Amino acid sequence: MGQYLVKRLVTLVGILFVVSIGSFYLIHLLPGDPAVFILGLNYNPVTKAALDLQLGLNHPIYLQYFTWIGHVLHGDLGTSFISHQTVISTIGRALPVEFELIIMSQILAFGAAIPLAMRSARKPDSALDRMLSASSFILLSVPTFILIVLLVLFVSIKLGIPNTGPSTYVPFSQNPFTNIMSLLLPSITIAIGSFVLYFRVLRSDLTGILQEEFITMARSKGISQRRIMWRHAFRPASVSLLGSAGVNIGGLLASGFIIQVLLGIPGLGFNLIQGINSSDYLLVQGIVLVVSAGVILINFMFDLIIFFVDPRIARD
Amino acid sequence: MTNKNRFTTLFSRFGSGTDQTDTIMKPEKKPPLGTMFWVSVGWVCLNIFLAITANLLPLKDPIAQDYNAISVGPSMHYLLGTDDIGRDILSRIIFGSRISIAVSFGAMFIAFGIGAPAAMLAALRRGRFDTILTTVMYSLLAFPAIIATISVLSFWVPRNLLKVIVVIGIASTPLVYRVIRTASLAVAGRDFVTAAKVQGATDRRILIKEILPNIMPILLSFLLIGIASVVALEGALAFLGLSITPPTPSWGNMINESRTVMSTNPGLVIFPSLALCLFILSLNFIGDRLRNYFDVAEVKI
Amino acid sequence: MTNELLEVKNLCTTFATAGGDLRAVDNVSFTLGADETLGIVGESGSGKTVLARTIMGLQARRNATVAGSVKINGAEVIGTSEQQKREIWGTEVAMIFQDPMTSLNPVMRIGHQVDETLRIRMGMSKDEAKKRAIELLGLVGIPSPEERYDVFPSELSGGMRQRVVIATALACSPKLVLADEPTTGLDVTIQAQILNLLDELKEKLKMSVVLITHDLGVVATRTSRIIVMYAGRIVEIGSTQDIFKEHRMPYTRALLESAPKVSNPSHTRLVTIAGRPPNLLALENGCAFAPRCTYATEKCHNERPVLEATGNDGHMFACWNPLTTRRGEV
Repeated sequence: MGQYLVKRLVTLVGILFVVSIGSFYLIHLLPGDPAVFILGLNYNPVTKAALDLQLGLNHPIYLQYFTWIGHVLHGDLGTSFISHQTVISTIGRALPVEFELIIMSQILAFGAAIPLAMRSARKPDSALDRMLSASSFILLSVPTFILIVLLVLFVSIKLGIPNTGPSTYVPFSQNPFTNIMSLLLPSITIAIGSFVLYFRVLRSDLTGILQEEFITMARSKGISQRRIMWRHAFRPASVSLLGSAGVNIGGLLASGFIIQVLLGIPGLGFNLIQGINSSDYLLVQGIVLVVSAGVILINFMFDLIIFFVDPRIARD
Repeated sequence: MTNKNRFTTLFSRFGSGTDQTDTIMKPEKKPPLGTMFWVSVGWVCLNIFLAITANLLPLKDPIAQDYNAISVGPSMHYLLGTDDIGRDILSRIIFGSRISIAVSFGAMFIAFGIGAPAAMLAALRRGRFDTILTTVMYSLLAFPAIIATISVLSFWVPRNLLKVIVVIGIASTPLVYRVIRTASLAVAGRDFVTAAKVQGATDRRILIKEILPNIMPILLSFLLIGIASVVALEGALAFLGLSITPPTPSWGNMINESRTVMSTNPGLVIFPSLALCLFILSLNFIGDRLRNYFDVAEVKI
Repeated sequence: MTNELLEVKNLCTTFATAGGDLRAVDNVSFTLGADETLGIVGESGSGKTVLARTIMGLQARRNATVAGSVKINGAEVIGTSEQQKREIWGTEVAMIFQDPMTSLNPVMRIGHQVDETLRIRMGMSKDEAKKRAIELLGLVGIPSPEERYDVFPSELSGGMRQRVVIATALACSPKLVLADEPTTGLDVTIQAQILNLLDELKEKLKMSVVLITHDLGVVATRTSRIIVMYAGRIVEIGSTQDIFKEHRMPYTRALLESAPKVSNPSHTRLVTIAGRPPNLLALENGCAFAPRCTYATEKCHNERPVLEATGNDGHMFACWNPLTTRRGEV
């Protein structure tokens, strides 16, 4: 078991390394002088010289990388020339928002998906099952941004709540109630998308498992249907559910910018787009690194959880 | 034996091997494709047809602004109404579909064109070629494609159709590689491939004659789902202003523009959204049904 | 005779399939008393597994219709709700499944699978149940059971897993055990071990066993009575002695002849039964075996034979043109 963990950790470090190179290299992919991107409007010979010195832009590229990664490992992602704040502080303010969104939406999504999928698998082709399966398939095809737009349309027109302009977000410490209310709409939207995925995966897996021989054997022991569903069937099914969850949550981190921009929620994605629009390259680079690393770490975490649920994975 | 086509014959080799359970012999029965399947195919073909022939159709000019007809609802003159600067929604939707279709098909063409042959070859050859290529691809896969896409697209201005297609296509390649390689590995390990190798068949021949037909269902199904997701992606990008620049209509930027006038002109939101969702839904449905169709499983009694 | 352990009367299990109605079990009747061992023999597709599951009441496929009566300890099983059936599952009747690779839950430790019934059905505490489970594991011949309690099924070999399956089935000491091809998936050497184990446990726990198999060698020495099935029907039933020595149905003889014998000289041609198992969806009138039978007459093809008794006690067969010679004679 320990061997498996070590192997995975090594792979993790390797991938993080590759990703850091990618984040770093992003700017050099494009034609032109990187300094132009970084300094933006502040570009003039003086600032360029200063930047060159700071980032070592006139050194060979691998040297630049090592300087950069050295800074990163000390927690220094640079100071934006546009906002004049350290990248780390901007990211630091955005992270709790991100966490809250993810936690809220996933609680809603799992809370709905698990019991409904269990119900559906137990009574396949029932009215409930068919309705859920059909609507989840349809919802799958609705891109998130349309979902949000339609929801906002519904909320503002039908319920008369004015269209939320720039951010109505308020940190939790300041006012818990407003905080949760402001994140409710985006959380629900995200939850819908996640729910659809989890429901489908879990139901399909459960249906397959319920046909397995070991379930018949469990039944033959006189165990109640309830216990069979939760104790015998759910466990193996949770493996692929966790797998999807890992990928999905990672994806939420990466694609959250859509909802955040639409509703003015200052998470990582929002700051990313703002950075892009204001040509704040250092911020963009920092966020790309953090988000990519975050996605990878989340996937890794879920892989670990899966391993504890089903040790067979290690043996493969 | 009931009439089988080539795929089902090949796929009967993949029947879930239930060896000891008493399976009763019965005639093979595939789940029917159903009417909805053909409706979806029809819808997709219609969209493609309209996109290709848009210039020849009697449509209003998508960028012409008619100040006498601002934000009108559906009428005889403007079948789906006009937007807030008097442009005909219907013709914008049809012209907009060209972007979605071009980007999605183009990007998937690139992703499959590069990813699929590489994956099949790697699965067949194994060894160093496979290890190196797979490691590279999996590392690229770890990098969230969407972030890379928007980063590159945001800095690589001015944007045009080709750049968008290329960026999305390349970003999708690692995923295509992974899926096709996994599918090909399952086939390449089978005895009939080994038999072909022993008979001296070239790699190319094996790939085309043995492996490709057997992974075709997964490939087709994934292709369709891939196209659908790129349509959604492009929509999202256009929505954020990161795709083709206006006034060229695209489904995404139409929805984006509708945001400010949602309450007064809901048609501007609903119609492009419907067009987009229905197109994606049809593609997903076709891909899903195809997958079911080719998944011949035995019934355990 | 009242209070037989198991009474099966006119049992029919029909599946509604796309190709029509499929009679997997066709009018089966027999009884089983305490401390008896019954063998049910037939080829693949003869309906023996379906029979076993129907007897237990496990047949839950929605397209299955069951008619007839099954009484276990006097209580009717057919037509009762799943809840009622659960009362007797595990405590009065248990099933040993065929494939040890798939009948154990792969993500549950084997110890927990064994003592689950002890905790749930017999109300034992966790520690009591664990102790008993370890005893059971030892009883079925698993070495170092205390250590093995926490392992997952994937860590055990096929033979070991089948022992776990047996331990699980017998945990609450049921009086009736249905063993559905318990050794088919195992190595030949292990097969003998498992069968011997079953014999031992049968003695120790005073159980009645229904042993289902396609292998005649298995039933030769371990059963007191045998049922021969074909196409879901009973074609012959009698004491083991009668079946082996004085069988009447040509199919029975064909089965016996087709079993390769070690005592035959080398290079002896293997005897097979011509033709293939029937398509149950397209059964013709008459005897199901007629198309493959070398003794088939006109009547055999047209009329379905009924079970008639021979002189011997409890020996019945269904054939219009039965064999009148003993085995070995021409």
